[in-house]
Amino acid sequence: MTMPRFYVLEIPENEGVITVAARDPANTVDHLGPYWRITAASPIVIDRRAAGCRHAVWYSAVAALEGSVITQHDKDALRVEAR
Amino acid sequence: MSGQHAEKPVHQVRGVDHAAFPTFDPNATVRFYRDVLKFPVVHSICAAGWGPERHPDFIHFFFDIGQGDRLAFFYYFGWEPAGDQTAPGDAWARLPHATPDFFRNSRHIALHVDDEEDLLEYRRRLDESDWPVEMQVMHETIESIYTHDPNGYMLEITRALRPVTPQEDLDAQLTIEALCEVTAGQAPSMDKLLTRKAELIVEHAAGWERSHPGWREAEKEMV
Repeated sequence: MTMPRFYVLEIPENEGVITVAARDPANTVDHLGPYWRITAASPIVIDRRAAGCRHAVWYSAVAALEGSVITQHDKDALRVEAR
Repeated sequence: MSGQHAEKPVHQVRGVDHAAFPTFDPNATVRFYRDVLKFPVVHSICAAGWGPERHPDFIHFFFDIGQGDRLAFFYYFGWEPAGDQTAPGDAWARLPHATPDFFRNSRHIALHVDDEEDLLEYRRRLDESDWPVEMQVMHETIESIYTHDPNGYMLEITRALRPVTPQEDLDAQLTIEALCEVTAGQAPSMDKLLTRKAELIVEHAAGWERSHPGWREAEKEMV
């Protein structure tokens, strides 16, 4: 079974998403090229308010999906699950 | 002649010479661009027809939009706008009534200013005019004000919040590669694009390790 994994481009505006992802011990955050790579054994959930991103940043934060699918991306949360 | 030629770069264009649009209301157009926004009138052509085909007499006039670039209009004598003038759209074309704003406004021109002070100065000029700012939006890396000019063309004035990084250019190249691939196939979607992008990122990773060692995973472990 694949693990949920997504990529976020390393720019200052996206740091809120990564800070929230890294705070959860279930997630592994590392780098591949100019991207942060977030991986976990279970669905990855990023709380919108905790990330503190403005509208345009929040809805463009995901750069790529590896073996995964976005099942929620709205005003409350981003949720990425294994496909 | 030396017979020696300096190697020219592949990318040789130098910005916008002019972007041109039709107008049926030159009075309002001049008020908006020259009197409200203070864009100098820098050139005009008064032409009695044009070439062998049936062609109305016209005035082609230009406003300076900075750095020698120009915004130009055509006014054709005796030419009437086509389509339902109550429908969404602009002087060039009208769209079906149900067309949402995002699509209507997707075609627009954006001019840039150096900083927030200049952006707010244009906001002040517009807000004191018959064409007040409709939106002021903080995007990912730019902040913009928007209005529609007297012809229905959306005008955006924008400032950069920070310089664009090489990483963003690289990401854009992968996005466009994935976009072209998924739109050439069946049922293109964001899901397919983001999935293809991940494949491209993995394919390029080894090359990045060599060309950009500062991006190496081991040096940036966060958890």
